[in-house]
Amino acid sequence: MKHVMIAIGIMLYVGLVGIVNGKDTAGPPAMVLKEDSPGFRYGGGNLTDSERAGAEIWFKATAGNERFFTYVYPQRFGVMVDWYRVLGTNIREQRFNRWGLINDPDCCKPGDPNCPAKSDDETYGFDYCPGDDVLLSYVGMDGYQDPACEFKDAVLAHNDPHGPTDQRQSACDLRFGTSTGAMGVRKFPNPRFNKEQWLTVNKGRLGTWAGYNERGKPADATQPMRSRITDGSIEPPFLVGISCGSCHIAFNPLSPPKNPAHPKWENLSGTVGNQYSRFSQILGSGMDPRTIEYQVFAHARPGIVDTSAIPNDQINNPGTINALINLTKRPTHPHVVTKWRPAKQCPAGSDGRQCWCEPGREGKCWERGQKEGSVHQILKGGEDSIGAFEAIQRVYFNIGSCSEESWVNHLTDMRQLDPAQRGFGQTPFDIGQARRDCPQFRAIEDRLANIFDFLASARPSDLYKARGLKDIRDLVEQLDKEFGPGSVDRGKVLFAKTCARCHSSQSEPFGNRDVRELSKDPKEPGMRIDWLGNDKLTPVTEVGTHQARALHSNHMAGHVWEEYGSETLRAKPLDPNIKEPSDGGRGYYRNISLLSVWAHAPFMHNNAIGPELCGGPEDEHYNPPYADEKHMERLANPPACWPFDPTVEGRFKLYKASMEDLLNPGKRVPKITRFNRDVVIKLFPKLSDGNIQRYLDAAIVLPSDTPSSRIGNFRHKEFANDLILSKVDFGKLEAKYVARYGPERGKTVAATIRDKGKDLITDPKKLLVVGAELREVYSNSLMLREDDGHRFGEDLSDKDKHALIAFLATL
Amino acid sequence: MMRRYGSLVYSALLLTLLTACDHEPPPVKFGESGEGYAKKIDFARLEHDLPLTPADLMKITPANLEEATQEQLDQIYARLSAGPIPDGPYQGQAFFPKGSSGRARFAEIIGGGLKGLVVDLKTAKLEHVAEAVWKGKVFDRSHRILRNRINDLAILKPLLGPDVATIQKLDVDGKDTWLLFPAKLYCGQSLLDGRRESIIIDYAFTDDLSGYREKPDALAGRDGFEIRDEIRMIRPGFYLGRAYMKRVFVLNFTLSNPAVAEKDSGAFRTSGNLQEDCWVGSQRTTAMAK
Repeated sequence: MKHVMIAIGIMLYVGLVGIVNGKDTAGPPAMVLKEDSPGFRYGGGNLTDSERAGAEIWFKATAGNERFFTYVYPQRFGVMVDWYRVLGTNIREQRFNRWGLINDPDCCKPGDPNCPAKSDDETYGFDYCPGDDVLLSYVGMDGYQDPACEFKDAVLAHNDPHGPTDQRQSACDLRFGTSTGAMGVRKFPNPRFNKEQWLTVNKGRLGTWAGYNERGKPADATQPMRSRITDGSIEPPFLVGISCGSCHIAFNPLSPPKNPAHPKWENLSGTVGNQYSRFSQILGSGMDPRTIEYQVFAHARPGIVDTSAIPNDQINNPGTINALINLTKRPTHPHVVTKWRPAKQCPAGSDGRQCWCEPGREGKCWERGQKEGSVHQILKGGEDSIGAFEAIQRVYFNIGSCSEESWVNHLTDMRQLDPAQRGFGQTPFDIGQARRDCPQFRAIEDRLANIFDFLASARPSDLYKARGLKDIRDLVEQLDKEFGPGSVDRGKVLFAKTCARCHSSQSEPFGNRDVRELSKDPKEPGMRIDWLGNDKLTPVTEVGTHQARALHSNHMAGHVWEEYGSETLRAKPLDPNIKEPSDGGRGYYRNISLLSVWAHAPFMHNNAIGPELCGGPEDEHYNPPYADEKHMERLANPPACWPFDPTVEGRFKLYKASMEDLLNPGKRVPKITRFNRDVVIKLFPKLSDGNIQRYLDAAIVLPSDTPSSRIGNFRHKEFANDLILSKVDFGKLEAKYVARYGPERGKTVAATIRDKGKDLITDPKKLLVVGAELREVYSNSLMLREDDGHRFGEDLSDKDKHALIAFLATL
Repeated sequence: MMRRYGSLVYSALLLTLLTACDHEPPPVKFGESGEGYAKKIDFARLEHDLPLTPADLMKITPANLEEATQEQLDQIYARLSAGPIPDGPYQGQAFFPKGSSGRARFAEIIGGGLKGLVVDLKTAKLEHVAEAVWKGKVFDRSHRILRNRINDLAILKPLLGPDVATIQKLDVDGKDTWLLFPAKLYCGQSLLDGRRESIIIDYAFTDDLSGYREKPDALAGRDGFEIRDEIRMIRPGFYLGRAYMKRVFVLNFTLSNPAVAEKDSGAFRTSGNLQEDCWVGSQRTTAMAK
């Protein structure tokens, strides 16, 4: 036995210590693919030069995050994406239903008539897309010139703060690659690819991941299966990255495709937000469902994603992708903002952390300081509050750009339990350092005005236009016919009375306001003057919706996005009705816009009010969240999910059903996202020595049906450190909880922690039970039900509710 | 049995007390850092303000690294780049994390008194036993693999299985050393510092390597303790490494090859130039900075 023990120690000590170019002259004439760059076909020629440039960046630029998704995400965070499962050309027809991704109209499936590639071996199993004739020849080689180098920049604005000379960072650093076949998902040739190794791993085929993504059975059957995607010694043919468009590009509500698998450019919108996207599932596509990462993060409903899952603030809070409409009419609010602002020069001897000029440029400087200004409040709780440009740029970091240079060193390592070590908690991202050290930061920053111009060009999706009607009057006639005579007029009155105080950007009184009035400024064609939301912040306990997203902590002082939050945000008063930690400006939701609300159901920040959506009856990702009202346990016979239907009538039908749920909260069936597999976490492997194995066999079992938020919101590090403190310095532990809860409760909590710690020494398997008993102490968000709240309007008569539904459809 | 279980827990935690000695940590500049994670200097700022020069790097030795606190080791590691993937045999030396007090970090957490002392002694015992057995690593650069050098098979006997005679051997400096626990080598992510890649020594998928023995090699692999090491070069022939078990940092180690150092250090000392096999990031690298 002693030998075994020592051997394990030593064991630890030891360890511790062909390209084809796709051209084929035989067969049918080659399809003429549209130029991908510099030509760009979005917008149908109706965009200005700046808007076109911004759109192209929005659709194509990864700003270098292909390294994040290929290396950082799997190796540093231990989470795998199976890109072939998502992007393999063999599922092109099913890609929308399975993953919510939108096929690129310019790509084709190898072997299809007129597709230049004849075999998926030529494309390593992916679609063939414009630019691939060049890109494919660089797989396994250095020297590829990114198509972004050919990007046609917009003319430098006359008021550019660093003009008039064009000093923008090279467009090459925007990093376009070529399309993977899914809009916004881009690929780059991997110079480290080894063809012989790939063939060996994949059973002699180039065009498949059959060996690479095959999950092998572990020695211990309770443990998750793993594939070679976790083997960093194997380099895939492509690095895969995403642009902002990967989540924001959607089917245009005004002109949906006849067949979602075969959209045309005119069927796409870059600003509506893809309410069918399954990025939570995509980002866990390489994981066995029996992993904690999968069960906590990969059950988000379509169209929502927990964007703070990677920087992890231990608050499970997936949220929707906001539709961006009439941006210039979106209200701004006074904030005290500390940030970098453009400057022409820096004072002599100034600290580079306060003022910095880019080397090799003339007068391209930035100075950091505090000023008061009127800014947009962006994100669900208005957390991005230092300016719209900065908020746009932060999207790029959220999707992994500059991750190695400037981001991951500031994130939490979920396994680091020692508070004295790096990675125990977040530290603030340093914007100045990112600008200095990451060229992709500068490439995006120098073109933010173009991206903003593009986003600001989006207009509402009027239902009357979607239905091909002449004008709004025809729509009113149809709605009145459906909901009852005079419904729309009655709904307008109800809106002014019950909704407009939050959902109008005009001032009171609302009774006589025309919320559909168009701007008379010829420079703003189609622009409504009312953004249909005041964008003010409402305490989450007042609106009553699922509160986890409002408790988002990443913008607090000392946290990763501190520099993107204003001083005003962080100074907001606490909501006394919240039991969980809610300091630092947390606990609020913005009053959102209702522009084109008919096209954006289901509702709320988590898409939880309304029917559950899925890709069809065979959807492998659908995990019914419905619970029974009395016990809040999983419902045995849940309502069926609604298959994705991006048609005009499909969206309208979904809108009506979601409105019914919204206005009739008593009829909602509770929803709670849960584990759908047991997750067994073992700290030690299975050994051949059975005698010792029984002592190492302790496992934490998180059973199927465990609410995902229970685990995702639990501050396990604080729990672990408190258990130690209870043994080594109980007085300190007691003082901590007396300070938090007062003398009586604080002493009780500390004593409970101490006693439970003793229980765990006797029986480590009680960990989950003990954690549950101490949930109120350690949970960042206790609320389980996801579709509660926003009960405004529930007291209206059925007739009035229908009138409101009719009127809102005209917005 | 409970005593043995307790010993195993201590072993698995791999913490130890370094024996008292008179040495000092490497005589290079360190950034100011407080006790908690939030008070550690950001690596990008550290490297910008206090890059390590070739002269600095020449002052670092295996012995003075053992005297450094974990924070000092982290600050050194972050200012290194991966350098070339090594080739041939390297001598190894491992040492456990020390806190700001100079004691083993786990003993610091446990606190003073008898409990802390017990932890110190247990981990010291483990370190000394292991030191007598593990002698380093042998790199095969061209095939991107390595094996660990084991000097005493007796202690591993219960885990070796049959056919011990078939274990590969290597003559290093006239002495037999057994080669076990193969690993793959590649450029990959550091779990400490993302700004540039490290050389990764990965034990996860080694069952397809020739000479692989399920017993004991699987213990380091994906069904075992999931060992993953990463190394960066201090100077030619001398690397600083970090070892992880199930993605949890456990200890530091150094690898050195006097012959390589002798051959290549002269040019490095004067120019600071070195071969880089891995992605070096966009922040100027250490040795070339000044």
